[in-house]
Amino acid sequence: MLLPWEYGVRNLARRPMRTALTLVALATVVMLVFVVVGFIRGLEQSLTVSGDEDVVLVYSVNSEENIENSSIAARTPSLLTASLDGAVKRFGITNVSPELYLGTRVKTDEGDGGLGLVRGVTLSTPLVRRRVKLTEGDWPGDGEVIVGRLAAAKLGSSDDAMAIGQSVEFEGRRWQISGRFAAGGAAYESEIWCKLGDFQTATKRQDLSLVAMLLSPQSSAAEVELFCKERTDLELRAIRETDYYASLQQHYKPVRLLAWFVVVLVSGAGIFAGLNMMYGAVAGRIREIATLQAVGYRRRAILISLVQEGVLLAAAGSLLSGVIALTMLNGMAVRFTMGAFTIRIDSVAILIGCGVGLLLGVLGALPPALKALRAEVATSLKAV
Amino acid sequence: MALVELRGVSKSFRKGDETITPLDNIDLDIEAGEFVSLMGPSGTGKSTLLNLVSGIDRPDSGTITVAGTEVTGLSRSKLADWRAANLGYIFQTHNLIPVLTAYENVELPTLLLKLSSTQRRQRVELALEAVGLSDRADHYPRQLSGGQEQRVGIARAIVAHPKVVVADEPTGSLDTETSEQVQGLLQRLNKELDITMLMVTHDSDVARIASRQMVLDRGKFLERESGSIGEGEIGRGGIMQVGVKESGAA
Repeated sequence: MLLPWEYGVRNLARRPMRTALTLVALATVVMLVFVVVGFIRGLEQSLTVSGDEDVVLVYSVNSEENIENSSIAARTPSLLTASLDGAVKRFGITNVSPELYLGTRVKTDEGDGGLGLVRGVTLSTPLVRRRVKLTEGDWPGDGEVIVGRLAAAKLGSSDDAMAIGQSVEFEGRRWQISGRFAAGGAAYESEIWCKLGDFQTATKRQDLSLVAMLLSPQSSAAEVELFCKERTDLELRAIRETDYYASLQQHYKPVRLLAWFVVVLVSGAGIFAGLNMMYGAVAGRIREIATLQAVGYRRRAILISLVQEGVLLAAAGSLLSGVIALTMLNGMAVRFTMGAFTIRIDSVAILIGCGVGLLLGVLGALPPALKALRAEVATSLKAV
Repeated sequence: MALVELRGVSKSFRKGDETITPLDNIDLDIEAGEFVSLMGPSGTGKSTLLNLVSGIDRPDSGTITVAGTEVTGLSRSKLADWRAANLGYIFQTHNLIPVLTAYENVELPTLLLKLSSTQRRQRVELALEAVGLSDRADHYPRQLSGGQEQRVGIARAIVAHPKVVVADEPTGSLDTETSEQVQGLLQRLNKELDITMLMVTHDSDVARIASRQMVLDRGKFLERESGSIGEGEIGRGGIMQVGVKESGAA
């Protein structure tokens, strides 16, 4: 038979200051776990949704994984469409997007700014990049750009500085913002898009970084890959877009491992907070615990009650952090080398955060509870 | 068969290099309904004996049978169950749970019994009534006087209708007036509710309320009739000088 629920609850109010401090410590630990897991989930989500199964990217074989370093001939799109019939054709338009992609210093009207990601695109780009949706304004004309939802975050500037009508400066030119776009959390959301021709002029380049092709259901990425392998003179490489972002996930594996390591370290610190509180709580109740045993309560029942106290406190801390994380942290933009992404407090993050919180409660309460129960009842009954 | 039977019970402790044997091969019988007081100098094993009878300590040798159950043979968890159903414990320092009200403190042992909520409530109310604290049921221990706390402790000890109630210096921490009230209460519970009691006390006046008074010294029992223990008899060696009946095999 278990001890009354109220016993555990009211014990928490016995030393309110200590309980409050422990609650804050546990909530902080769980919050840090939320931040780190939200970061990992946001990064993973960004890379996962960025890929399209039906899109194949063709870029320079010499650039390895980094498309920014890729340089391919401007005639590549026509060469590909002439040699391969795998791309989707609709209303006479082939869904192939030639793009020039560059990391360059971008300055806003407010004077702030940083390293931005700029993509020169054509009208066929949205046909291939199907997630992209213009949320405000118009498609860019000459000397204009559209900015992704997270472009401001990537530059470290305010949303106001990236509003329609404002301008940005890069590659020695001023560009007016004509619209804003979203891409369902994909990596493009941190980019700035302008007309390909304009961008080539500004950068004094005639080449492209890549060609993105939307493949028809009848064709496969393998055909494009085979073509690139056979035409060694073109020095091209083709990869399915989902595979490209999967390889980036591998690239960021050490970062994720480090983040998980931080979760473990932070949780460890939280366990000490729980241990400190519960050792203090149990140390002052040696006689009481012995009395409960003398009355007829089994050790297991008392142990469960003590663990219940730790878990209750940890649950309160987790709840507090969960609410803060969901209302203030979720969707917060984070700058990263590959662009920007949002912290994602999803069901997995909630599960891990609250799971860690409850684990802190259990692990923090168990050792002091076991220590108290190991003491001789006869001696403990007369403890001061 | 006696309600409480101790046969050849010994218990030793190590204190540094020295081994102390407060209980050395003792026998004891307590009949149902008896009120036995146990006196003796400090360190003679009175509380140890109480703890052995209540199953919170184990003897080195010998057997202890209470209400037909040999408690020395029970596992730790079985002993807990047995205590819940058969034993009430009154502590010198009351040992109430500070975060529970008087009612909830008294209710604690009944939660271990198979009772309906109505039966449980009735028992708790009756126990509180028996100790005259029905009007303090909602009070927390910090809101009660020492005497009231001890009465709650007594109510907690009797609420499960135990076969035996053991009391370790039940008046030890009370003033004279409150002590007398508690003595009266214990006597009344013994007589009116026919509760078998084993009480340890240092106070010969308190010991006199028992129907049978025993003195423990050097591992042996010395037994006197009700109301016959004098102050001079309590003390190491002193009891050996008076004409008392020795019991125990040692």
